[in-house]
Amino acid sequence: MALEKVLTAGIGELNLRDIDVYRAQGGYVQLERAIKELAPADILDLANKSGLRGRGGAGFPTGRKWSFLPANDRPRYLVCNSDEAEPGTFKDHMLIEETPHQIIEGIIIGAYAIGCKHAFIYIRGEFLEGYRIFCAALEQARAAGYVGEKLFGTDVSIELTVHRGAGAYICGEETALLNSLEGKRGEPRLKPPFPAVKGLYGEPTVVNNVETLGYLPHIMRRGPEWFAAVGTEKSAGYKVVSVSGHVQKPGNYEIPLGMTMRELIEVAGGLRPGRSFRGIQPGGGSSACLFDEHLDLGYDYESLAGAGSMLGSGAVYVFDDSTDFVKAAHALVRFYAHESCGQCTPCREGGDWLERTLERILHGEGLESDIDMLVQVSHQMTGINLCPLGDSIEPFLASVVKRYPEQFYAYVRKPPQTVAV
Amino acid sequence: MTQETNSVFAEIYQRVKPECERIIAMYPQSRSALLPMLHLFQSEEGWVSPEAQRACAEMLDLPPSVVESTASFYSLFFKRPVGKYMLQPCRGIGCIINGAEEAMAYFRKQLGVGHYETTDDGLFSYEEVECLAACDRAPCMQVNLEFVYDLTPEKIDAMLAAMRAGTYATPPLPQTAKPGKTWHVSYETGKKAAGAQGVSSPNDPGGIGDRSGVSMLRLIEKDPYPIDVRPTRERLVADGRQVLEEIVPAEGESH
Repeated sequence: MALEKVLTAGIGELNLRDIDVYRAQGGYVQLERAIKELAPADILDLANKSGLRGRGGAGFPTGRKWSFLPANDRPRYLVCNSDEAEPGTFKDHMLIEETPHQIIEGIIIGAYAIGCKHAFIYIRGEFLEGYRIFCAALEQARAAGYVGEKLFGTDVSIELTVHRGAGAYICGEETALLNSLEGKRGEPRLKPPFPAVKGLYGEPTVVNNVETLGYLPHIMRRGPEWFAAVGTEKSAGYKVVSVSGHVQKPGNYEIPLGMTMRELIEVAGGLRPGRSFRGIQPGGGSSACLFDEHLDLGYDYESLAGAGSMLGSGAVYVFDDSTDFVKAAHALVRFYAHESCGQCTPCREGGDWLERTLERILHGEGLESDIDMLVQVSHQMTGINLCPLGDSIEPFLASVVKRYPEQFYAYVRKPPQTVAV
Repeated sequence: MTQETNSVFAEIYQRVKPECERIIAMYPQSRSALLPMLHLFQSEEGWVSPEAQRACAEMLDLPPSVVESTASFYSLFFKRPVGKYMLQPCRGIGCIINGAEEAMAYFRKQLGVGHYETTDDGLFSYEEVECLAACDRAPCMQVNLEFVYDLTPEKIDAMLAAMRAGTYATPPLPQTAKPGKTWHVSYETGKKAAGAQGVSSPNDPGGIGDRSGVSMLRLIEKDPYPIDVRPTRERLVADGRQVLEEIVPAEGESH
């Protein structure tokens, strides 16, 4: 199947890190048009009409997020979230390294649209290479007059600062990210107030994902109707999906939303020969695993939500019959236990308990009752934390325990080891 | 603190100070510069030393405790001196289902150290980390934050040999302090709140609540666990008792 490339066009063929190559592809034309010809309200209107939704995980409509900013003359900030750490997601990693100029253009357009004079991009600490590439691109863009004072001879000045994180998944949560950007511990804040009202330095702030902002120049160039016509009614446009796990050609694929998951697996080269399908996790570590009966569902926000899972950040794990789901669940639970910031007791203690219980099961020392306890504890952790991290363990764990209980029981049904303590 | 380390730090401080001032000027509020400054000190020193934290606190006009609290939250800031090569294989789910366990076991065997440990010669530190966002080329790892993909035993052998010979492409981390047998604990355990006193587990024998790693350090110094053999439960219980006896004076002794 031939897929149209939008955001990923030219990756792997052209050196888009170079500003001249990017300009030859029509780069920065839309930025100039936005600042010289359009009013901020026009861009907001374009975003609304295009149906663009946040590509970071929550899928919130971008235009609506912008419109929550109060109409006052306080300084306001745009923060581009590139703290990509959701297990299975590696799209921002690629976008930052391969098309930094596209991201810069998107950020400056977004900043102009909301009237922000100082934008930030928060890059995950582990992406040291990406950070260097992005900083070099930013210097090029600054020298060419696309970032900084009096852009294109107008009165519009927009500064962009690159901020590097230091290894904390939780900083992908927007209020934790803002705390981290302020030089504090990356702990999520109590909401409300939402960042749109009280965000960075207590001022109105919008946090958008890299991919979301990257689509802005394309929506401007080809019109919101073009974007809205792709995908389904509520899930418009394209999405960069990171497919990995047991497929023959893992990688990032830009797909129109609404494509079925069966097609998506085929796009990524299909399963390895002689293997059969066991499960698919469609939206990163925090989404529930889906199975055979769901394969013909569309890969879009509402279909996945209808099946009890979610699209999330667009990270797809495909599992074949070689998968040990107990080990997979353990790896995922260990991740959330490790990344809990420790503020809320259910998440901090629950994650550790689940990790230890799974470890016990994996070492043949588990009890049958432990398996029920896994589901119960993970369920009790949901909905009572400051941020969604504590809610993220249940979907995958509960879905695989329910579907493949025999794999879990196989670990515990061994003669009990008697140890004199 | 010896005179020698102080003079090393003083030199680093003089070198990075102008850069710190430039970073502070980039932000509307100076405190935002804390993370970049800690990164900068770590890139010069190889770790975030107490002197570096105090220097940041002074430059940003923050209490030192605030700097330590913040630095302790992030796993990329090393609280103790680490080896010249920081080896960080990924243990995320994407790598686990594609053979990361074998790669990690091979590392442990070849290095003779486990999670969060540094080899005696100070060359390698080893830490198993969470998803590195490169699942398409699993199992993957980072060496001093540079990615290495599609790990195989041959690749690991070649990599370690090149590092020992000093010909590896990624430059080594600066090392201003001698790691020796120092137990490298990244700051991460500091983010667990008090009260989470944990029990030992094979990967984390000190337990989650063991913030300082003191009990672990004692265990290692006395009798390191065999690397690829999981300690038996009897062994864990016996070790736990031993540590307890050392920390809590036996009855009658204190009176």
